[in-house]
Amino acid sequence: MAVIVVGVSHHNAPLDVRERLTFPTRDVAPALERLRRHSGAREGVLLSTCNRTELYLVEGDKDGAAPAWALLSDRLGADASAYGYVRRDREAAAHLFRVASGIDSMVLGEAQIHGQVRDAWETSRQASGAVLNRLFQSALSTSGRVRSETQLGHGALSVSSAAVQLAKKIFGSLAGRRAMVLGAGDVAELALASLRDEGVRAAVVANRTFERAETLAAQYDATAVHYDQAWSALADVDLLLCSTASPHPIVNVARVREAIAKRGDKPLCILDIALPRDVDPDVATLDNVYLYDLDDLKAVVSANLERRQREIPAAEVLIANEVESFWQWTAGLSAVPVLTQLREEMNRVRERELDAAMRRLGNLTPEQRAAVEHFSRSLTNKFLHEPSVRLRAAAANGRGLGVVDTVRYLFALEERDASPPSSTPDEPAATPPTKIT
Amino acid sequence: MTAIAHFIAITCYIGAAALAATPFARPVGAPVRGVIWILAAGVAAHGAALFAYAASVRQLPLTGLGPSLSFAGFVLAATLLIVEIVARDVSLTLLAAPLAAIVTVCANLVGLVPGIEPPGARGAWLVAHIALSFVGIASFATAAAAGCMYLLERRELKSRRFGAIFRFFPPLATLDRVNHVAAIAAWLGLTLGVVLAVTYAVSYNELSAPKIVWAMGAWVAVSGIALGRVAGGWQARRAAIYSSVSFTAVIVLYVAFRIAETNGGGRFL
Repeated sequence: MAVIVVGVSHHNAPLDVRERLTFPTRDVAPALERLRRHSGAREGVLLSTCNRTELYLVEGDKDGAAPAWALLSDRLGADASAYGYVRRDREAAAHLFRVASGIDSMVLGEAQIHGQVRDAWETSRQASGAVLNRLFQSALSTSGRVRSETQLGHGALSVSSAAVQLAKKIFGSLAGRRAMVLGAGDVAELALASLRDEGVRAAVVANRTFERAETLAAQYDATAVHYDQAWSALADVDLLLCSTASPHPIVNVARVREAIAKRGDKPLCILDIALPRDVDPDVATLDNVYLYDLDDLKAVVSANLERRQREIPAAEVLIANEVESFWQWTAGLSAVPVLTQLREEMNRVRERELDAAMRRLGNLTPEQRAAVEHFSRSLTNKFLHEPSVRLRAAAANGRGLGVVDTVRYLFALEERDASPPSSTPDEPAATPPTKIT
Repeated sequence: MTAIAHFIAITCYIGAAALAATPFARPVGAPVRGVIWILAAGVAAHGAALFAYAASVRQLPLTGLGPSLSFAGFVLAATLLIVEIVARDVSLTLLAAPLAAIVTVCANLVGLVPGIEPPGARGAWLVAHIALSFVGIASFATAAAAGCMYLLERRELKSRRFGAIFRFFPPLATLDRVNHVAAIAAWLGLTLGVVLAVTYAVSYNELSAPKIVWAMGAWVAVSGIALGRVAGGWQARRAAIYSSVSFTAVIVLYVAFRIAETNGGGRFL
């Protein structure tokens, strides 16, 4: 038995392949059921997002990779293994921990994947068991630690969020601030939506085509003004966002100077996301005016990305510790019951043979009986000592699940095992009954 | 005991500042709780040192240069601690904690020797005057520290550099608000301190020209900021520059008077 992940992701699979390998929620349970039937897998979870499709399995007696590839290839209509990867045991656990933490994401450190992993686990609950429940629980907890203990998820990675980050650096919260948007195109609309999300109290939309400004303003509970009136309204706003299609700068020093003169010492943040630029660069020289253009926003984004990349080693250390902790738990889960079973079985054999020997030997003194019994116990312990030590070591090294199955097979323990072992004390309470036997 | 507790306090102030500066070495946020706990430990040790001193000389640590400086450092650190607990932001530690450490080091270098007690030194009014004045000066120092940080961050934002200051200093609006509140607190503390001082000076006929000049200078400086902020509509840069420059001027004036008075055999504060 081993934990295995079979899947494809944005690293190797192009978008059209990933699209075809997407599993809607309703398809997850049938897919896992089919896979368990064909592969004999004891547990399964299917993670399907726009950037990856992965099957996490606890293998049974057979190899789980081939049936998993068959399932994915059927869906793709071609050999899916050409685009994918297989990881086993520790590597499989580490892979999931990296995925949940956003280290393996297309946008490094993105937070959405945490929820997607949790949803995948929830959707697959029927097919998952003690091991995968524990694995996913650990992955989500690790992801939380990575986010809180490193800066992997910090800093904006899109131009619009960088614009918000810059504005917040000046004003703190944007709640209750006044903003003006010059232009009424798609970019302006996106910007307006994110400003409203940040709690901007009043927004003014100015556009050469007043009807378009009115439409956009109505959508976002803003006010539309005629383009020529925009300059007088500038004195009342804290944030000016420019995204017109004008071929030359329309916001010049004279207009801004006049507006800020009426504002006292209040700062004015100007975000020019138009190309070509809407704002004369000399506006930046005015006191209390903070002007940023697309290049500045991109600089913020790349600085944030660089910082996130520098956080990867710290996140990897956390992940390594959590993988170790998970593996210790798995080792205990797999090795302890089989050791107990093996010892009980050996004791039964010893007692049976001891009884037979006592009958054959006839009348023995109590001291002699004790000596023979001590000899039988000692011999059994000696025989069991080395296998016990090696089984524990194998479990701790990540090979426990396979070795446990071998021991069960060699000593025919599975035939005698009528009921599943009780859960370990730290097993999650809400998990379905274990199928590990 | 006094020396050891002072040493612990200085170490804690420096430690808190170093911890608050970690974002500059590694891209992680400053550990707010850690900084506040270390600072609190420093304030506690400093308080213990001053208490031990007062118990040993049977006099409040308000006379003599060394004890006064130590008390000023204590009030500054305590004010900083309160501001940071309320604001849940520890970036002010970067400037204010080293300042408290320097003041405390100077106090120990000069020596914790009690000065000659002025008449009525044990009266409640004089103690209230000194305590309020110290609170005023500590708030003034906080306003100046916030002002300096504002100017540094403003420079980064204007020049479009997105380095450590951009990432880890609080927003300009927050620094501006701290400067505003601290300036008002400084004005209240110093105004009440000056009023009590005048009452005391008239009652005991203890008029000292340098003291009056310095106290009035500090009060005028703080009043200028408070008036500018409340009535003049000052925000942001102007208040930041004024508070930083005027606080520096008040400190320079203090040192100048202190040196002049010590050389002349007098006792200035």
